[in-house]
Amino acid sequence: MHESTLINLSLFILFLPLLGFIVTLLLGKKVKSVYIFENLIIIISFFSSVYLLFSKLTNFRTTKITSEIEWFSFNNFITGSKLSINIGLMIDNITAIMLFVVALISMLVHLYSIEYMKGDERYNRYFAYLGIFTFSMNGIVLTNNILMMYIFWELVGLSSYLLIGFWFEKKSAADASKKAFIVNRIGDIGMFAGILILFFTYQTFSFDKIFGSISSGQLPFNSDFWLTVTGILLFCGAIGKSAQFPLHVWLPDAMEGPTPVSALIHAATMVAAGVYLVVRIFGLLTADAMLFIGVIGMISAFIPATIALTQNDIKKVLAYSTISQLGYMIMALGVGAYQFAFFHLVTHAFFKAALFLGSGSVIHAMHHEQDIRNMGGLKKKMPLTYWTFVISSLAISGIPLTSGFLSKDGIIASSLAFANLTGHYLFPIFSLIVALLTAFYMFRLIILTFHGEPRDHHKFEHAHESPFLMVMPLVLLAVLSIFIWYTPNPLNSEQGWVLSKWIEKPVIHTPENSRFDFMKSFHNENVLSNKSYIDSEVYKEAMHSAHYPAMGLSLFVAVLGIFLAFAVYQWKKINADLITQKLKPLYNFSYNKWYFDEIYHKTFVALTIGLSKVLAWFDAKIIDGIVNGSAFITKHFSFFIGNFDKYVVDGIVNFTAYFNGFAGLFVRRIQTGKVQSYLALVIFSIVILLFIFK
Amino acid sequence: MNINNFLSDLNLIYPEIILVSTLVIVLLFDLIFKHNKSFLPIISLAGITFAIFFTILNFGKNEFAFGYGSNNFLLSIDDFSNFFKLLILISSIFIILFSILSNEIKICRDRHGEYYTLLLGMIIGMFFLVSANDLIVIYISIEILSLSSYILAGFVKTSLRNSEASLKYVIYGGVSSGIMIFGMSLIYGMTGSTNLSEINSILKVTALSDVTFLTSLLMVLAGLGFKISVVPFHFWTPDVYEGAPIPITAYLSVASKAAGFAVLIRFIKIMFLSGITNNEYWVLYPIIDWRSLLIIFSIITMTLGNLSALWQDNLKRMLAYSSIAHAGYILLGLAVLSNQGLTAVLIYFIIYLFMNLGAFLVVMLIANEINSEDINDYKGLGYSLPFLSAMLSIFLISLVGLPPTAGFIAKLYLFIALVDAKMIVVAIIALINTVISLYYYVRVLKNLYLSKPAENKIKIRNLSFVYSLVLIMVVPVILFGIYFAPITNLAKYSLKILGM
Repeated sequence: MHESTLINLSLFILFLPLLGFIVTLLLGKKVKSVYIFENLIIIISFFSSVYLLFSKLTNFRTTKITSEIEWFSFNNFITGSKLSINIGLMIDNITAIMLFVVALISMLVHLYSIEYMKGDERYNRYFAYLGIFTFSMNGIVLTNNILMMYIFWELVGLSSYLLIGFWFEKKSAADASKKAFIVNRIGDIGMFAGILILFFTYQTFSFDKIFGSISSGQLPFNSDFWLTVTGILLFCGAIGKSAQFPLHVWLPDAMEGPTPVSALIHAATMVAAGVYLVVRIFGLLTADAMLFIGVIGMISAFIPATIALTQNDIKKVLAYSTISQLGYMIMALGVGAYQFAFFHLVTHAFFKAALFLGSGSVIHAMHHEQDIRNMGGLKKKMPLTYWTFVISSLAISGIPLTSGFLSKDGIIASSLAFANLTGHYLFPIFSLIVALLTAFYMFRLIILTFHGEPRDHHKFEHAHESPFLMVMPLVLLAVLSIFIWYTPNPLNSEQGWVLSKWIEKPVIHTPENSRFDFMKSFHNENVLSNKSYIDSEVYKEAMHSAHYPAMGLSLFVAVLGIFLAFAVYQWKKINADLITQKLKPLYNFSYNKWYFDEIYHKTFVALTIGLSKVLAWFDAKIIDGIVNGSAFITKHFSFFIGNFDKYVVDGIVNFTAYFNGFAGLFVRRIQTGKVQSYLALVIFSIVILLFIFK
Repeated sequence: MNINNFLSDLNLIYPEIILVSTLVIVLLFDLIFKHNKSFLPIISLAGITFAIFFTILNFGKNEFAFGYGSNNFLLSIDDFSNFFKLLILISSIFIILFSILSNEIKICRDRHGEYYTLLLGMIIGMFFLVSANDLIVIYISIEILSLSSYILAGFVKTSLRNSEASLKYVIYGGVSSGIMIFGMSLIYGMTGSTNLSEINSILKVTALSDVTFLTSLLMVLAGLGFKISVVPFHFWTPDVYEGAPIPITAYLSVASKAAGFAVLIRFIKIMFLSGITNNEYWVLYPIIDWRSLLIIFSIITMTLGNLSALWQDNLKRMLAYSSIAHAGYILLGLAVLSNQGLTAVLIYFIIYLFMNLGAFLVVMLIANEINSEDINDYKGLGYSLPFLSAMLSIFLISLVGLPPTAGFIAKLYLFIALVDAKMIVVAIIALINTVISLYYYVRVLKNLYLSKPAENKIKIRNLSFVYSLVLIMVVPVILFGIYFAPITNLAKYSLKILGM
């Protein structure tokens, strides 16, 4: 096994889905069964990524494999220098794991969709879109430079747009796809500005080279401040793509897309790309930038969790839960819990995909009923869906023996340790509140959907367990939500191979004075020699002291949340309607999603429309007025010029023409047609010339 | 002359040998197959194609051929001569294709053998002319060229104006070549040599600046000026161009003129060059004020050509005057007396070949349809013959020298050379001439498009062949106007003139 083999294999994994996309799209209308080809391709791509993951983690666990080629270059002829734009691939452990996650979920969603989308008139096109999504996502994961990442970033945005609006006959779906695209674009502008600053400063897009230059002290505009700005600008891309506050409004609407798409794109992979981006640029984040990211993450974790409490659409609840969990990851990165953030990305991808696919299974069984108030009692009808849903919900609530407990507990512990080190206690407090809310709304969802008596008997009668191809992914993903795959000790994730061996430790490249105290090198002699701050005694100690309190508290709030959910909705000990009545304003606030859409409509959208109206008026009155006025002036001026032209210039021209014409008449006179005179003229001219040049 | 050298030098004149063989074959076929003449043009085309192949092979050889005496050679096979040979061969191919289409030539079916034999004779004359390094060779090849063209100009015996053109051409040409050979004999008398290189080395040691030498020089220039129809030796041109069959007119205006220029340039450069300055300007023996002489010739030529063209109603005659004017522009490039100017001349010739032949071709095709070359009969043709009218417009616009046609590039390089040589006034005069020429070219366009059609729609026969031939001519005119690197490179590559 050679390094270049891994590169070739990753190229294979990257481009295979593109082939699937092209073939499926081109043959989609002619060959009805071409979707099988796309599915085969995705299965091959999955096994290739499994192979890649294994060989990377066994043979090359500590090496980072990169390969780069020159895409094009500019020659500067004035300075004689050459500016090359390179593209390339980079495979480290994070890449390999992420590639595996994408390939696995993509494959499961493909198989699931074979049943779920059956009978759709654009069946093959749906699979083609899944193909281009997988291709673009793989591109984001594999790139070694931020330019390529941006390109694939936009491609992912495009495929998301296509898939959200897949049922574009529905106005709500078409609107949702536009909303997602436009809101994402706002974040991408920031990201693009950040990329431009980086390129302007370092003349390269490569992550490694940029980090190297920052380590050697080269900063944008020679100031820490601009490095902070760059980090925040790049993070704007993540705000858009990972649906973070304040750009989170597109994700719930994106649920208009087919449910498997929601599982693949809007829960497990694409929205995680924002987190992946922050993971990639982690080395250049200053303390201020990290704090900004942490606060955004915290807000994004909290607000959607409160909204999810009152939503009645099964997919909307899961969508807000997704935003909330992504907020967790972003917050974790902000507090320096780099490994836990990525770990949570992976575990969340599995259990959230299981939840979405489970909700798809329910929706499928209930004939496209999404309102949980019309469900209930489905436990008996759909046992497999129910149990996988329960396991995944336990995982997202952070109950021990699940993968979610490992990663979520780690994040809460890290935020507590961070608070102990820096004094920002809002982070652990909010993360505990969110954990409570998460457990509550997840079990509210389960109880209303699966327990109790069926509330819509007609639909209940026709409900049935989903076919094999839809249940199999659920089971597989639920199994992957068990702790055993990640660590032998269900209570301590750090002893597991994922954290201790697979996920690399973070390296900070920013200048000393712009880091948090605990990251500074005087706490750890090894920081500069590429050892991570998490090896420093200070940080280890803080983590150690935070570990058990955090675990106890998070376990307590999770159990409390589940208990409250049962008390309210199962045993009806607490009357939900009474609380709703008493807390009417709060309830309305949550039910109406904190009025974000309304506020945005009243402010930004109204402002934009107003501005465009003002501009239209300006255009119509002022610009056109100027144009008309100048036309008036020009007209009269040209009338004058015209007369000048007619009498003076034309007079000269005509005179010249007459003169030339007259001369022409004269010279024509020479051409008499008589040979004798011609010859006489020849002799005559030779004599004349002789006299001239003598 | 050593027989071994002679045999080995034959290797250098394969194109000429092939042309002579083709001539003989055409002659024999004409005698053997009395009734079927249709393959004669094909044989000629095949021969010319072979000659093109061997001419291309000769590029880069740069050798003298047929030596005599101590160090004298009759021919110099250099890139310069190869360039002109290629030019002549390409225009010959087009002329033969024209001839197949021409109604005038078609009528004389029984004498096609003569026609193609004489055409090949002209080519052979021009071939030896462009590589001649000796006054005798120059004279003989001019005679070969002229005699063939006299007959071809009057080829259509039944046409009165053909015969008149031919007769005028013969008388005028005869007197001109008489004057030239008189001048040559005087030069031989004074220097004792007919070899251009040898005369150059003689002039180096003995200053021959008396009136006799000047007179003899002017006499030779008069003979060469007759070939390139420079004013005041141009008088035959309008009459002959108007009278001759259109393919021959086109041929005389391009190939014959190119050969004349080639020998004029060689004559001046080999015989009188004493050195080259650092910035590549030629220093000539001060027998005469060369630059003033050439400038006077060229300005008079272009001005007279353009002014005369203003009043012509016959399109062929107008194009004849226009070709005189173009000779003036080209001569201006020579008057710069530098390699840059020479490059401009060569570029001009490549482009002139396509645009001038193209214009004549379209005029001929239109004449085939409406039996007239009168500009007044062109009214509204833009509507009845849209394709040909559009093509004619392109060629005429290129002849004016407006972008994006190749004509612009030709004039551009010329003017750059003039400005670089600080001949600003001359450049301005040439520019004014261009503006004058705009009038008579645009007059044709006006008649084509702005006047109402006089008669009903006319259908063209032989559509695909005619169209493709016209397109072959028009494509370079557009293409070289946009992408002209190939022709400028070819011109720069072909500057090497042997004989110094």
